[in-house]
Amino acid sequence: MSRQRMDADTAETVAGVVRLLRRAAELVWAGVDAEGAGSPRQVLGLGIDLAADEARNLLPEAIPVDGPVPVGDEPAGLLRSAEQLLRRVTTPGAGTRLHGLRAQVADLVREVNTGVGG
Amino acid sequence: MSAADHRTVGELLADSEVLARETLLDATPDHAPAMVRSWNQLVGSAAELWAVLPSAPDNPSGLDPLERLRAVGEAIGRSVTAGHWPGQGPTDERLTQIADNLARARDLVEPYGRPSQQGSPETQRDIQDLHVQVMHTLYVATHGTAVALRAHVTDLQQRLAAEERRRQRLAERPTALEITAAQDMIARFDGFEQLAGAYLFGLPPILANPDQVREAAPTRLETALAAWEVQAHRTLATSPDPADLVRVARVQALITSTAGVLTEAAARKGDIDGDIMQRLAPALEANQVAWGRAAKRWGELTNPTSRTDIALVGAAGEVRAAIAAAATNPTGWATADQLASRVDLPKAVKILHLSMVASIDIAYVVRDTAADHPGLAAPARIVGMRAQGEAEIAIEQGETRYEGVTWTTPRQIAANQPIPLPEPARRGLINLADDVIATTNHAVAAAAQLHPSHVEAANRSGHEAHRGRSVEGLQIGRPHDPRLGDHADELHRASPRRLIDITDQTVVTSNQAAPVAAGLRWHCPPGMKLPKPIRECARYRREPQTRTGHQGIASKSSPAAQPGRQRPKEGHA
Repeated sequence: MSRQRMDADTAETVAGVVRLLRRAAELVWAGVDAEGAGSPRQVLGLGIDLAADEARNLLPEAIPVDGPVPVGDEPAGLLRSAEQLLRRVTTPGAGTRLHGLRAQVADLVREVNTGVGG
Repeated sequence: MSAADHRTVGELLADSEVLARETLLDATPDHAPAMVRSWNQLVGSAAELWAVLPSAPDNPSGLDPLERLRAVGEAIGRSVTAGHWPGQGPTDERLTQIADNLARARDLVEPYGRPSQQGSPETQRDIQDLHVQVMHTLYVATHGTAVALRAHVTDLQQRLAAEERRRQRLAERPTALEITAAQDMIARFDGFEQLAGAYLFGLPPILANPDQVREAAPTRLETALAAWEVQAHRTLATSPDPADLVRVARVQALITSTAGVLTEAAARKGDIDGDIMQRLAPALEANQVAWGRAAKRWGELTNPTSRTDIALVGAAGEVRAAIAAAATNPTGWATADQLASRVDLPKAVKILHLSMVASIDIAYVVRDTAADHPGLAAPARIVGMRAQGEAEIAIEQGETRYEGVTWTTPRQIAANQPIPLPEPARRGLINLADDVIATTNHAVAAAAQLHPSHVEAANRSGHEAHRGRSVEGLQIGRPHDPRLGDHADELHRASPRRLIDITDQTVVTSNQAAPVAAGLRWHCPPGMKLPKPIRECARYRREPQTRTGHQGIASKSSPAAQPGRQRPKEGHA
């Protein structure tokens, strides 16, 4: 799905996903700082950053991403919300990049549930 | 390039190697700035020739070592063009001639396309020899440039001291900044040399069975890291967003952490010396913290509209996936046993530390970006806060230019609109990049002795039959002229990471310290003080078993093979 062809609802949803992912990443990186050098949570933090980048790059320039900071102090909860939002995007023929993002966020949810990131 | 140039590709490459050797033998202080200016052109020509050569049999994945080096060469070129030391000026005749030779060779090869690497072992050897010749030319020229740079720094330091004594006018003296800039350039050339050396000394043997060659294919981690380095350079070269800088720093921090985890596992498994790990662990930790701090500061400069370069995201994703697959489990880092079962630990350690060597140049590019990037802008509130903080520190240190300066207007603060970074805010980023550079250099130096290349060099003795031609290609074929006085001078002058076995004029780095040390038992005159890495090298203290043990370094005409050559006393070790 190219940036130009994204409808307004989808764009707004993806913008919400960007905010959720950025907030989740912020929390994980705070945890990394608290744990000190060599924290294994860097892997999760970078994964969330990259998913947020991917989501941001799906959006057209004109779509504002700023908005209220998502509520919640648990990366796991924020990631689950992002995953649920992405499931709601039902645009027919949604591009491979959106499908890829969905899979990426689903993987992160699994990672945070089973691993050290949660 | 003259129209009457009838040299063949082989002659052009041979001439280039001779010229590269000449740069080494004639590396005077005055040549250094011109050599740096010519560097990008030389590496560019080498990369373009490499691109049309048949792909190397040791490189079935298509991983291109010259791309990695080209990225570094371009970064050095951009830095010079941007006005950093040595700035604009004349170029070096020899390096320019080598670049012209390589460009001419490319013109001759290109019409035939890039044939497949399939062929008999002999053909594969020929192809490998071509690659080795190009890379060796770069390797020797890099070393020559670094030697000239060291001489230049020494010269500047001596002139500065002498002219201070004579109270010469300030404008006529070299500055401390000029000396620091030249020293920084040495670090970048050191990194380049290690990357080129890693290719030369890490070449797999050409085997009769192509399946065995395929087994030597690069791992996912190796491919991901090499692609990452190239992409990081590309992204940083094209007006990067602060978000790109955050991603670069985060990935580098993760690479450093992973290097620590795998190196520790290798130490536990007895693959590397525990003492080295004790020195290396704090260096890696400091480097990871430095990259982490840089990421945080660049992160402050992002805004909701920031975008990360999509190609950088892809390359970072592959590095993360490769690290996650190799080095983590659901609860965190994998245990030493798990790591040993998943990866070839010595090889993985080598790959990660080589990536750290490459990161030296990335760190310099980050610093150049902080200093020069004209489009660097950030939200007014954070710019105001950071600029004021840095300005106050500078004022405390005696800087008067910042007194009474306001960095933002009330309107900009109210709207928090993106504004260009003022000098003090840039200064904070530059200082953080300097920390990254210093800690990376420290980690690379601490890791120098665990680099498994010397193990490989020793192992290569078993492959002499098919390595012979390439080994010859690695040597600088001067007739034997011991010149032991020069030998001693060079060894004394050399940094711990850089040595020359002058007996056969083969350039080596500390990676080959062990075999060289073994050789020096035979070459060294009594009373010669050896550099620390050689003294510390366990192999030096042992009797070399056979000359083939370090044949990758010593020439056939090596005096080691000659009876009656005086050996150093044990006390030198």
